[in-house]
Amino acid sequence: MRYLVALFAGGLFGAGLLLSGMTDTVRVQGFLDVFGAWDPTLAFVMGGAILPMTLAWAIARRRPVALLGTPMQTRAEDPPDRPLVIGSVLFGIGWGLAGLCPGPAIASIGFGGTGGLAFLLAMMAGMIAARPLRQRLSGAATAPLDTERQSQMDIRQLTPGYAVSPQITPEDIPAIKAAGFTRIICNRPDGEIPPALQAARMRDLIEAEGLEFVENQVLPGDFSDSIVAAQRTAIDGASGPVFAYCASGNRSSVVWALGQAGKVPGHDLIATAARWGYNLEPFRARLG
Amino acid sequence: MPAEWMWGLCGGLMIGLAASIYLLVSGRIMGASGIIGGLVDRSARGSAAIERMFFLAGLILVPLTILPFTAHDGTHLTGNWALILVAGALVGLGSRLALGCTSGHGVCGLSRLSPRGIAATALYLSAGVLTVGILRHIAGIL
Repeated sequence: MRYLVALFAGGLFGAGLLLSGMTDTVRVQGFLDVFGAWDPTLAFVMGGAILPMTLAWAIARRRPVALLGTPMQTRAEDPPDRPLVIGSVLFGIGWGLAGLCPGPAIASIGFGGTGGLAFLLAMMAGMIAARPLRQRLSGAATAPLDTERQSQMDIRQLTPGYAVSPQITPEDIPAIKAAGFTRIICNRPDGEIPPALQAARMRDLIEAEGLEFVENQVLPGDFSDSIVAAQRTAIDGASGPVFAYCASGNRSSVVWALGQAGKVPGHDLIATAARWGYNLEPFRARLG
Repeated sequence: MPAEWMWGLCGGLMIGLAASIYLLVSGRIMGASGIIGGLVDRSARGSAAIERMFFLAGLILVPLTILPFTAHDGTHLTGNWALILVAGALVGLGSRLALGCTSGHGVCGLSRLSPRGIAATALYLSAGVLTVGILRHIAGIL
């Protein structure tokens, strides 16, 4: 479903870019040509685009999760930093030079000829170069992109409403909260970890952040019906997306999948987990 | 011509609507540079990467399909290859350093009055205006 939404949103975005004239470099440069024959059309484009988005933000602010159950990707509001300033100036110069920014450059690739293709390839090369440079410019102080924060944290989103992860540390809790999760399930038995990471300590820290904490410790290989039922209750009872962790995320995946058996075809559950590197084949019979 | 700003406004509304749907239904911020950038530098993986590919597919296929029914006839991109390559590299590098371009910082940032969005938009607009101004009216290149 979210793929279809992405396809639709991308298509609507592209149609808007084309119809508004954003893919026409003469028009874009005409807009930037304040000192010459200024073409104000793009100011209407910007205004038209901001209008519905203002409304959307007003709604989004009051909802932790989107309609599909995915957490709202609301980036933490860091103040403008050095990479932002330098990057925006460089981007503006490039935009002025050719009259294309990333959206229209992609949208026009089907009819932009070899020049458009060359622009896109150069743009992608610039994007690859940006990553190491941004880290150098900002030092360690700046928050990375949301997607990168997730990959460092290693959040594995099995479904829109349920993610698993290897063992978390107290530093991860704000990021989990920022990612929109409302409940954290601990599947890691205390016996496997030092006191600083054990359930009682994590409960204090997690609840202090305003998140719910549910303990459902799973000993290796112990996927009994009561454990599975406890996991399902903990997931179904949450008001928003759920985050579960164990040592590698494997046990959190297994107890979730067994709780879905009968509701979701077994091969789908196996495929979902496999995408994130978890092998549920041994449970094929129980998954149905 | 009144038709031009009407098209601008309508196209803009469609862009804003697309961004609203992506935010409210999928919980994602519609930023073109972030969507392609995450694929290019491989910071988006798994289902997040597939989702982005679907977005890009729509973004490429729909304009191509409806182009014959519009008054538009291409991008009118400069034929100067050096200019194209330098501009492309600057756009890619800059938008990823700034973590946003016209759609992410402009549309999505300005509409929530984000300090980063406002600062970025003011900077890239000024830089773009100065670039066109200098190269067109002083250097005579554009």
